[in-house]
Parts: sequence; structure tokens; C-alpha cells
Amino acid sequence: METVTLNHYIILSSILFGLGIIGFVTRRNALIVFMSVELMLNAVNLMLVAFSRFRADLSGQVMVLFIYTVAAAEVAVGLALLISLFRHMRTVDLTKFNILKG
Amino acid sequence: MITSRDPLPSALGLLTVFIALASLYLHLNAPLVAIFQVTIYAGAILVLVVFVIMLLMTPGERFGERQHNVSYRILGAILSFCTMILIGLGLKGIYDLVGEQTLPEGFGNPGQFGYLFFNNFLLHFEVASVLLLVALIGAIYIAKKKL
Repeated sequence: METVTLNHYIILSSILFGLGIIGFVTRRNALIVFMSVELMLNAVNLMLVAFSRFRADLSGQVMVLFIYTVAAAEVAVGLALLISLFRHMRTVDLTKFNILKG
Repeated sequence: MITSRDPLPSALGLLTVFIALASLYLHLNAPLVAIFQVTIYAGAILVLVVFVIMLLMTPGERFGERQHNVSYRILGAILSFCTMILIGLGLKGIYDLVGEQTLPEGFGNPGQFGYLFFNNFLLHFEVASVLLLVALIGAIYIAKKKL
């Protein structure tokens, strides 16, 4: 059986990141766009942990912890914004949000 | 996860991805990160997302309509394809650069992790705590009834 190398993790991570980009650009539901951002963050996390494992350097895992912090902050603020927007516009469809157009 | 029309099945698909990633972290000698993945992502963040989905789901509204603008869809496909190709091109060079080091004794156990965390990354830790506090206050302020 072939062993799992760093390349496998990089390929998996890039596929996850690409799926996140597809979801981010092509969906109109703001909630799904948020979840796509989470997916991209997770792809980066996987890459960091894989590099940390194959370089035998523990700093990558510490970086992942900071990414968790940023993700939690982003989700809290983003969902609060979404609730506030929903209260004004009665929808979460991103194409309907044109109030910043001026 | 990105193909389902409703946000709720999409969230459950995301949960599956998170759990699978946690098992991959276990395989990568990162047990602490796996635990954090399950507790923070699958536990806290996803519950928050599902809660908001339940809060905003109004009956009768067509959720999960796709982007009508075709150029956006093509743009998404091209962007993700280019990213994958770009990362794929660098694979060989990265492997030559990094290679595979043999792991030292006890790599990734929580004690070593905590030692590194509170020695080399103490300032980052403090900044992250301030960031969390600011995000908390900001979220409460934004989600208030009257802005």
C-alpha cells in the first residue's frame, strides 16, 4: 500500500478551497456564502497541519488555533450583520442587497 | 455541500466535512487540533449557523436559488479551477523543499503544544483574546433591535 504523502494533503486541501470558491461566487443565499468561507478556512487549516506534520514543526498547529479564533469572531459578527440585514430587508438573498449602491 | 438548494442540508454537509477533517488531523499527529475542530467548529460555530438558519427560514420563500447571472457562475468555476491548477503545479517543488522529517518523541502532545503556545506565541494569544472580545461586543451591538 502506498503511503500518504504531503502531496495528497495538498491536493485535498486545494480541492476543498476550490469548492469553497465555487460556493462563495455562485450562490445567492448569504448563509451558504458564509459556510463556503468556513470551508476555505478549513482548507487552509488542513494545509497548515499537514505542513506542520511533514516539517516536524509544531508552530503550524498553533497557527491553526489563531485561525479558529478569527473564524469564531468572523462568524459572530457576520451572523449578527445578517440578522440585522434580514430585519430590514426580509430576505437573505445577496442579489437583493443593493442599498449600498448609492 | 455547495450543491444542495436548502441551507440546512448544506450545514449538515459542512458538519460531515468538519468531522472528516478532525479524523485527518488525528492521522497527522495533531490530536489537540482535532479536539478543537470538533468542539469549536462542529460544536460552536455550526450550532450558531444552524440557529441563524432556523431563525431566518421563512415559509414560502424560495431558498437556495442559484445565481441567475451566468458570468458569476463561470467566474466561480474558472477561479477554483485556476487555484487547483496553481497549487497542483507547485506540488513537486514543495515536496522537494519540505520532504518528510522524522518526528521527534511526543510530537503534538498537548504539553508540548501548550509550552510553544505560551512561550513563543504569547503576544498573539493576547491579541486574539482582544479580538474575540471586540467581536463579541460588536456582534451584540449589531444584532440589537434598534441600531
